[in-house]
Amino acid sequence: KKVRWKLAMTWSSTLTPFATAPFNLAKMVEEMSGGNFVIRVEGAEKHKAALGILDMTKGGQYEMGHSASYYWKGKDISTVFFCTVPFGMNVDEQNAWFYHGGGMELMQETYDKFDVLSFPGGNTGVQMGGWFQKEINSLEDLKGLKMRIPGLAGEVFAKLGVNVTNIPSGELYTSLDRGTIDALEWVGPAMDIKMGFHKIAPYYYTGWHEPATELQFLINQKAFEELPPEYQTMLVTAMKAVTADLYTDNFAGSVEAWSQMKKDYPNIVVKTFPPEVLAAMKQAADELYDAYAAEDPFFKKVWESQKEYMEKARTWTQISEYNYINTVNQLSE
Amino acid sequence: MTGIIMFIAALLLLSVGYPVAFTFGAVALFFGLIAAFVELLPDPSVAMVADEFFSMFSMMPFRIYSIMTNTILMAVPLFIMMGIVLQKSELAERLLESMGVLFGSLRGGLAISTVLVGTLLAASTGVVGASVVAMGVIALPVMLKYGYSKKLATGTICAAGTLGQIIPPSIVLIILGDVFQLPVGDLFKAALAPGLVLVGCYILYIAVVALINTKVAPAIVIDSAHKKGAVRRALFSIIPPLALITMVLGSIFMGVATPTESAAVGALGAMVLAAMYRKLSWQVVMDASLDTVKITAMVFAILIGATAFSMVFVYTGADYIVEDFMTSLPGEKWGFLILSMAAILLLGFFIDFIEISYIVVPILLPISEIIGINPMWFAILIAMNLQTSFLSPPFGFSLFYLKGVSPPEIRTVDIYKGVVPFIMIQMLVLASIVIFPHLYGFS
Amino acid sequence: MLHRTEQFIHRLVNWVGYLLAVLLFLMVLNVTFDVMMRYVFRASSVGMQEMEWHLFSVIILFGVGYALQHEAHVRVDFLYDRMREKTKAIINIIGTLFFLVPLSLLILFGSFSFVGDSYLAREISEDPGGLHYRWLIKSMIPVSFGFLIFSAIGYIIANINRLRS
Ligand code: NA
Ligand code: NA
Repeated sequence: KKVRWKLAMTWSSTLTPFATAPFNLAKMVEEMSGGNFVIRVEGAEKHKAALGILDMTKGGQYEMGHSASYYWKGKDISTVFFCTVPFGMNVDEQNAWFYHGGGMELMQETYDKFDVLSFPGGNTGVQMGGWFQKEINSLEDLKGLKMRIPGLAGEVFAKLGVNVTNIPSGELYTSLDRGTIDALEWVGPAMDIKMGFHKIAPYYYTGWHEPATELQFLINQKAFEELPPEYQTMLVTAMKAVTADLYTDNFAGSVEAWSQMKKDYPNIVVKTFPPEVLAAMKQAADELYDAYAAEDPFFKKVWESQKEYMEKARTWTQISEYNYINTVNQLSE
Repeated sequence: MTGIIMFIAALLLLSVGYPVAFTFGAVALFFGLIAAFVELLPDPSVAMVADEFFSMFSMMPFRIYSIMTNTILMAVPLFIMMGIVLQKSELAERLLESMGVLFGSLRGGLAISTVLVGTLLAASTGVVGASVVAMGVIALPVMLKYGYSKKLATGTICAAGTLGQIIPPSIVLIILGDVFQLPVGDLFKAALAPGLVLVGCYILYIAVVALINTKVAPAIVIDSAHKKGAVRRALFSIIPPLALITMVLGSIFMGVATPTESAAVGALGAMVLAAMYRKLSWQVVMDASLDTVKITAMVFAILIGATAFSMVFVYTGADYIVEDFMTSLPGEKWGFLILSMAAILLLGFFIDFIEISYIVVPILLPISEIIGINPMWFAILIAMNLQTSFLSPPFGFSLFYLKGVSPPEIRTVDIYKGVVPFIMIQMLVLASIVIFPHLYGFS
Repeated sequence: MLHRTEQFIHRLVNWVGYLLAVLLFLMVLNVTFDVMMRYVFRASSVGMQEMEWHLFSVIILFGVGYALQHEAHVRVDFLYDRMREKTKAIINIIGTLFFLVPLSLLILFGSFSFVGDSYLAREISEDPGGLHYRWLIKSMIPVSFGFLIFSAIGYIIANINRLRS
């Protein structure tokens, strides 16, 4: 039986490695089905509705979408947990939560009301804290700082007196260059290098706000149910494969891009926010979560599930991954 | 194939004379219906075709919403507003007359000052309609009065009024920045040299023509008694608009405002200037606002029609055909460049830059990336090329704008003939950017 | 009867036009204000920044109908200019009936679920301090295309009157 699907992405077709995942998914599914299950992938340059992916998948204009869960924050605040939250879990912890800590079930519960299925769509790992024109040495330095930073992180910063500004992506470079804004947050080296921010801003701050940004595959529920069972399995298997690939590709991309940046612009200063600032951010974030939890019981449920799992998982991360890097680093010092 | 028929159908229907925006929408509607039918072959039922068709057009709200939330496009009404306030408050007129006095004693001086004023307006408005209309109203009667040939006069006004396309700030560059995902500010910077070279070539052309043929652009003679006062008055009229332009460009380059925001500052600045000259009244503000609403709506109606058109165009898979055709060209980089420039030029004879930017450029863009063409350079080439689309008969917008404000003795044919030398100059400059990119600062 | 209907629609559309002109002026002030706040007072409100494109959206959407009444939409007119008044009126009537109105109806009815989804989810801005009631600005799409159809009816009647005179 011949099945033809369409998939809409939030990104343009040329945005690697994000767009690579859906294209590879389509290729795998087509090959596994002997050419009978065909998915046409369309980037934002074609459908022109980068942030309409959830609505279009729900409405059936597209059977599938590739996006990120936190873009639907305006429709349901709980969606942020299936992407990443400030001071949340890292990739390993979050993946363990998804598959072994009840995350997948909570995600589906959230998306049931949109009549879509949601699956992890590939992780960027820890995102960088952004490009800054000046150093942040104290809370005072944050006051009045003009920064482009969307979402929950923007809310945290706004609480600390940062002047959160919306600038269209086409004007970001110029705005940072000319001082229309003092700082901005993008992704990480692999994607930042294309925007050229490293040419104009001296300070590259480390991450805190998007510790494990998970992209998302969306599937129209009715369309999925109409698939023959073997196609359903092919699709789910292929999604998992490209999701793992995206994480690896993005990691490798950042390795390359970062070594390139350091070579071409040796004066880039990598900075971490001072403890005083980080503590204030953490407190602001916690207050924010508490406020949302007080209003929305479902938010509370997911937040508690994540918090509980993170506490449990972090003790293992500490004595395994973190300890390994730390002890080896001490050797070379 | 369907896509090509779509284009031809659109061109035929357009020439009937119903507004462009809705004609594009209607062609999309008709071909959307056909596409839905074809999609469901071999056994389409009425209900299924209707379902497919409605599903396709339920994409329209998403596309319209993307236009609404695209804040870069906000520059369109803001720049139009600034241009119209300058025009309604007669500040643009003063500027032109004063320049005419300063350059008037030279042969061809009036035409040269029209080009210079066009350059200044271009540096402040970026809206071709406003500058062509303003200069058509003011400069055309003056040039005709002093015995300029109709062809040179109309050609000069159209070419000078269209400079706003390439000289920053420019809406074409803003839209290309959006399509290319390039920083608008960088595009503005990159367009400056090509724009100024173009201005230089226009002036050179006018000077040479005036020198060879004494009849096309005679000198203006002012008696010496009036001269001293005239020069002072002229300077008095030129400086304030210059200050406004400096403020707008300055606010962009100093990082006070984004290019979009600086347009608002410019619109308000134009009102302040008008107030300083006691030319501002509620009537002027209201009229300017109403005119801006109309022109803005006209532009966005075309955008909405064009987005319906491109949606169906994509749906029929026509973009893949064009893509295959373009990528299968021999000669790689050069073959692609020459053909894409020729294609845009050809399309520019018939359809508007907005449609070209949104329909054709997204098809060329991925291919140019594969070939490894410097996107900034490619964008500037396209912007230069799109300028020609404003000037090229039979559908060039500048020609219509000017026709709308010309005295009856100017016939459409005069304007068509008048722009030909200027189109050729544009193509020469374009060729020079292609052949010597490094001279314009491209690697 | 037809003349009075024409005048009635004409007045209403003009009234909307005046409203849009005021909104445009407010938008200019809004953008300038935001620049001033950011540059001079080092403060900004995401809500105010979003208000910019809310105003812009209303202007471009409803302006289409206003521009129709005032013949501001661009035509390819090398043939049209040479036609007799009656031929022009016929083209306008047919074009409006078969081009403009069907397209508007499709967009109007096609956007119900677009607006409905937003309303049911109580959608708000995804940015800190942004505006609430996203469905309200989204609902401007069907409302404005309804307005365009209203203006188009006036336009058809005006052209019928032109044909009869
Ligand atoms: Na980010
Ligand atoms: Na310009």
